[in-house]
Amino acid sequence: MKQTDPQSPPEWPLRFLRFFMKDEYLEEIEGDLEEIYLDNLDRYAPERARQMYTLEVLKLFRPGLVKNWKVSNQLNHLDMYKNYLKVAWRNLRKFKMYSAIKIGGFAIGIAAAILITLFVLHESSYDQHYANTDRIYRVINNFADPTREADRWPAMQPQLASVLEEEFPEIEKSGRLIPYDWYDAGSNQFRPEERVQNNYEEGFAYMDQSLLEILEIPMVYGERETALANPKTIVISQKMADKYYPDENPVGKSVILNEKEDRAYTIGGVMEDFPSNSHLQYDFLLTLTEEEFWEGEQTSWCCSNYNTYALLRRGTQTEELEPKLLSVRDKYLISHFEENGDVWAEKAKNYLTYDLVPVADTHLKSKEVYDVFPKSDIRIIRLFGAIAVFILLLACINFINLSTAKSANRAKETGLRKVVGSHRSHLIQQFLTESVLFSAISVGLGTLLARVLLPYFNELSGKTLSFPWTDWWFLPVLAGVTLLIGLLAGVYPSFYLSAFKPIDVLKGKLSRGTKAAGIRSTMVVFQFATSMVLIVSAFIVYNQMQFILHKDLGFDKEQVVMLQGTNTLEDKLPAFKDELLRLPGVTSAAASNYFPVSGTKRDQNSFWIEGRKNLDPGVGAQIWRTDEDYLSALDINLIAGRNFSPDIASDTGAIVINQTMADKLGLEDPVGARIENWGKWTVIGVVEDFHFESMKGGIGALGMIMSERGSILATEISAENIEATLAAITGIWDNFMPNQPIRYTFMDETFARMYADVQRTGNVFAACAILAIIIACLGLFGLATFMAEQRSKEVSIRKVLGASMSSLYQLLTADFLKLILISLLIGAPIAWYLMRNWLEDYEYRIDIAWWFFAVPGLIIVGIALFTVSRQALKLAFSSPVDHLRGE
Amino acid sequence: MKKTKLGEFEELVLLTVIALQEDAYGVQIKQELEDRLQETLSVGSIQSALKRMEDKGFLTSTFGETTPRRGGKRKRIYAATPYARRVLEEIKAVRAGLWATILKLDFI
Repeated sequence: MKQTDPQSPPEWPLRFLRFFMKDEYLEEIEGDLEEIYLDNLDRYAPERARQMYTLEVLKLFRPGLVKNWKVSNQLNHLDMYKNYLKVAWRNLRKFKMYSAIKIGGFAIGIAAAILITLFVLHESSYDQHYANTDRIYRVINNFADPTREADRWPAMQPQLASVLEEEFPEIEKSGRLIPYDWYDAGSNQFRPEERVQNNYEEGFAYMDQSLLEILEIPMVYGERETALANPKTIVISQKMADKYYPDENPVGKSVILNEKEDRAYTIGGVMEDFPSNSHLQYDFLLTLTEEEFWEGEQTSWCCSNYNTYALLRRGTQTEELEPKLLSVRDKYLISHFEENGDVWAEKAKNYLTYDLVPVADTHLKSKEVYDVFPKSDIRIIRLFGAIAVFILLLACINFINLSTAKSANRAKETGLRKVVGSHRSHLIQQFLTESVLFSAISVGLGTLLARVLLPYFNELSGKTLSFPWTDWWFLPVLAGVTLLIGLLAGVYPSFYLSAFKPIDVLKGKLSRGTKAAGIRSTMVVFQFATSMVLIVSAFIVYNQMQFILHKDLGFDKEQVVMLQGTNTLEDKLPAFKDELLRLPGVTSAAASNYFPVSGTKRDQNSFWIEGRKNLDPGVGAQIWRTDEDYLSALDINLIAGRNFSPDIASDTGAIVINQTMADKLGLEDPVGARIENWGKWTVIGVVEDFHFESMKGGIGALGMIMSERGSILATEISAENIEATLAAITGIWDNFMPNQPIRYTFMDETFARMYADVQRTGNVFAACAILAIIIACLGLFGLATFMAEQRSKEVSIRKVLGASMSSLYQLLTADFLKLILISLLIGAPIAWYLMRNWLEDYEYRIDIAWWFFAVPGLIIVGIALFTVSRQALKLAFSSPVDHLRGE
Repeated sequence: MKKTKLGEFEELVLLTVIALQEDAYGVQIKQELEDRLQETLSVGSIQSALKRMEDKGFLTSTFGETTPRRGGKRKRIYAATPYARRVLEEIKAVRAGLWATILKLDFI
């Protein structure tokens, strides 16, 4: 602010006063205030006097004193609005192309915004639906060893849940869940007792009766309070009840898993299907009542396999409860470690704490928790939200740009209305009405478009979203958005248009829409910079995706068929395998539960060099049971030692490890070394590291021990006659297992599914990028058309005077090209910054190269030039006579 | 009492206007009342009371002279209407009657 005379009252409050005070009171009150201000200046410091002045002004802002802005409340509003709408409609029809661009761009933007909003809403609605959502917590281990990254995981010891409930009055109830492949949890061959045919079903989990009550899972048949109370009971989803027991109440019937008739389960109840925004997605809940997986399992504190949930009493503060929970750690867990002389006793005492995490945080805010539930990254969700806002902004900008550019056409109307007696506020109202009309048409079209595109969007985003027509908020929100966007997009044009001076307009002095050229250029730059950011981002995500899918993994995933459910072959597995290998198209086959793709089994253990178990902290490593053909079926390279052989009896105690494991254990000469976990092993071979987990992380330590059994038979087949080979395999299977249909997947497809979330992110980015560029180009096309109209005389005269076609073309496109290039320069660093952050999540990532910017840049320049050229060439080729005849 | 009501604060402002006679303009009214009530009042509260009473017919006003301290802006001098005086008298009478009752009761 500029320095003013200290004797005069502060400028801004005074302006504000003049703005709102009724004219007839202004002189008196302004004078009074000034007098008081000068009195105060004598008494207080100038700063304080100014403050008091401001305060007085604010206190004067009250109904009796404020201007009555409704200048013309005697007029019949309705008729006026009718007229506004009529004129708007005529204009819309008169300039069809401009209207189409305005409305089309708007509708596309709104459709995109609606879809993204539905997506974001669904993502942020996870686990809000329980009756006591705010009191349900997951108990999470937090292991904060300062020498490495903090580990957080939810698996607890079997007794922890009951101990919590008994020892802490703050905990009303607690319950356990086993959410991963473990005994009967995961997937099984399933049949009702009275049927013969097995079906493969997924979505089995073990659950306590109490957890059923904590989550208040709604039941269709049976009582929630007793459904899982008895041993060997099972609760099935409505979907499964409809599939296996149509039109009947299945409670009390028996079902058989994996042909184990002696371990039949009784159906205790039918639950409603889990809603799609629940972190739990199961069709079969097996009871944990009296379940003991091995002798003494339930009473031991050795092993952590149970996700534990707690229902807190009302008013419990988790910050107060969490430190108290440590008594459980000391009393049970650490004493267990100490009894066994385990070095973990010391570590756990120093670093292990228990966190209570709200169940609603599972989906979006538990990225660092190591569990099996599919999660989203809240940053990505926020990013999508931002993209939705940006796309809407782009659409609004088109509207503003085209409205101001075409202002000359409306100037005469504006001038005439003013002459006839319209107040400026009327004109503002008129143009706002017009833009709300446009917005209403666009929102209507956009909503329709979104509805039509929803199935494709679902496919793209991997969701099952639906339109919430019936939700009470949906239509009001849509109406609100219509108004808001209408006003937002209309506010600048309406003030701009209503400011024309009638005398200038009617004399024809008004320069045709050049006044706002600076602002229009800024907006074009904004649009194309946004497009650039989105296109570069989509491009980089796509390249990273390709990099992952085609990286050398250390194993060969091509032409490997994974036959599922081979555990049910039991003793016939070797015979089945032999028969497969006799087929001409089959080169090798390996049975195991463990494969380097997601969805197969994992087993994390600690390993030590033999004899150092109580001295060293241990190396965390996977231990996989594989057969002797595993390495050849997956083409994994052996770099030292040898593979298993069933002919060598001592190989039952042999282990093949990967390089990482050898390094972590510090084995210089691994072959022949002795290591231990719960058993003791001799290292017979070392394999080259291969990626067995998502490429977001590094390669961990891995050991393989020999086992003939496996629920998956990985069969390598030759590339020729795949159809015939598969048919032959199916024939053999049907001979062996007549009651169980064959089930197989291709390993490369399963592998690609591991990166489905990356692919989805990329797809959504790409879709947004395409939309953004379409909207931006629509706007550019409109502006180019306008420019061509505006300069038609100039171009015609130049042509008459002998300008060449190419120089005219240059003249007409150079301005736009400049703007586009500026946009690229602004967009590139933003995209670079965003993408560098995104790539940091990946242990294995591409480097950002110059051509990641150059290619999208060229594409944008190309598209923009194409858009502008049409109009430029049309004008350049047109006959000068047409444009000059009117003069 | 009449339909047109006079609020407590309005009554005070009205009395001040009458007491100040020719000096009854915004700043003076504010100062006088502040001195008597021993509290700070905002221009807004006084002005809205004045305007309200003008609308209700308790006050009339005319532009007065200007001073250099007002930056050339004229004062507005307020004066009570006969109607206002009558209403004030009525209120006073009602109050006096009530007080008399209270005093009598006290002596019993």
